[in-house]
Amino acid sequence: MTATSAPEAALGVLPRADGSAKYSHAGYTVTASVNGPIEAQRRDEHAYEAHVDVIVRPAAGVGGTRERHLESILQSSLSQIILVKNFPRSLIQIVLQVEDSPENDYVNTKLVQASLNFAIMPALMQTAVLALLSAGVPMRATATATAVTIAQQDGAKRITVDPTPRDIETARSVHVLAFTSHDELLLAESEGDFTVKEWDDVYETAKAICCRSAPAKEGVAMVLDDEDASGPDMRQFLRSAAGAKVAADLHWK
Amino acid sequence: MATDRPLVLPGETIDPSLIPSHPKHPLRLGPGLRHIPPSDIVPTVAGQLITNPVKNSMWVEYNSQRYIPSVGDIVLAQILRSTTDFYLCTLSQHTAPATLPHLAFESATKKTRPNLAPGQLVYARVTLANKHMDPEVECVSAATGKAEGLGPITGPGCAFDVSLGFARRLLMARSAEDGGVGVLEMLGGEEGGGLAESARTVVVVGRALQETDRAGLGMEGQRRLVKKLVREMR
Repeated sequence: MTATSAPEAALGVLPRADGSAKYSHAGYTVTASVNGPIEAQRRDEHAYEAHVDVIVRPAAGVGGTRERHLESILQSSLSQIILVKNFPRSLIQIVLQVEDSPENDYVNTKLVQASLNFAIMPALMQTAVLALLSAGVPMRATATATAVTIAQQDGAKRITVDPTPRDIETARSVHVLAFTSHDELLLAESEGDFTVKEWDDVYETAKAICCRSAPAKEGVAMVLDDEDASGPDMRQFLRSAAGAKVAADLHWK
Repeated sequence: MATDRPLVLPGETIDPSLIPSHPKHPLRLGPGLRHIPPSDIVPTVAGQLITNPVKNSMWVEYNSQRYIPSVGDIVLAQILRSTTDFYLCTLSQHTAPATLPHLAFESATKKTRPNLAPGQLVYARVTLANKHMDPEVECVSAATGKAEGLGPITGPGCAFDVSLGFARRLLMARSAEDGGVGVLEMLGGEEGGGLAESARTVVVVGRALQETDRAGLGMEGQRRLVKKLVREMR
């Protein structure tokens, strides 16, 4: 799968969970299940808000420190968009199972444990949001996320959206940004060397992908797709994925 | 259809022209909507926005799996255990138990209270649904003191889990016409006068309902499913 492939999603794939989603984009495939609000364990209970529990499971082996790190970042971002104050003393559990991640063609990997890296964050974030939509968990807003790298190539700097493992290896810095549907910055994580100016460029690039305002009519969208080759329109994608689920649920109307 | 029932996502702004305005009635907000003072109405779930200009109400129609109690809902509760003054019962799995007072039954007094065993199903109305407290249910109308159809469920049967949207369709006064659920009538119509009352029938009816919900079957699909199930049962 190439990095430029369009994102794909299916909602409600797990019949037993309250909500679930399967999402694949840029070589990553993630399945998420959401259960909640359910009764929280005593130690997770909070008197005034719901505890959001995020569990990231790698494609092979058991999770380690890296997964715990991703979980903590996702947990704090997702509790911002979920209306946690509506469900005090309860738990909203989000389990993210990585099924597939892109392989680096330049390195011969002996797969003992599929190691997670930074670039998987947008896929995890997007799957979690889709699963939350599928579960009907009340939210303040939806969120879209993307990963951007900056590489030094022939003396010029090059910005890559949805990087491949090779891009990440050669990049000077990797950035993950997420925006809410109100165009607010929800998550900004960076790794590597970069200047403030570079970060500003990254911010603009990511914002263009995550926060493209929805076109008024579908006919206009078709025209825009041809001209605009700056990357996938994540917000439109999220809307169509949720719309398909709602239409399937309310087919009897 | 797309115009009168627009798709909304959490946090989207609702076009002010869609919000009903009525000179007399106050605006009523149903599930899936949040009012942010002073004047913002924001959806919190993904679904179809439905408005009723006559009653001056609006809500978001969506399907979900987990039941969140709200006052006035008629629910099927399962008794967990009894305490001195009330029964503890579950409304959905893995949530805090709801309370059902011993005296919240028709003509129950301190001396004559119904004796319900753990696992028993009761048909009840939610009287207290508050995010800071455990929900409370009753099997009697507080106004009339009559059961009005509520109370312990007796006779052979089983409880089957379906999605909330499907449960609402089943509860519609004319579920076949309005809700598009015809399985029950179709099963009843087989053999020209209803199926025999047996454990097998219960399982077939439950499976038919669950399958209709899970696969989102239309009328034609339901007819095919009923034929298949009846053929298997014989």
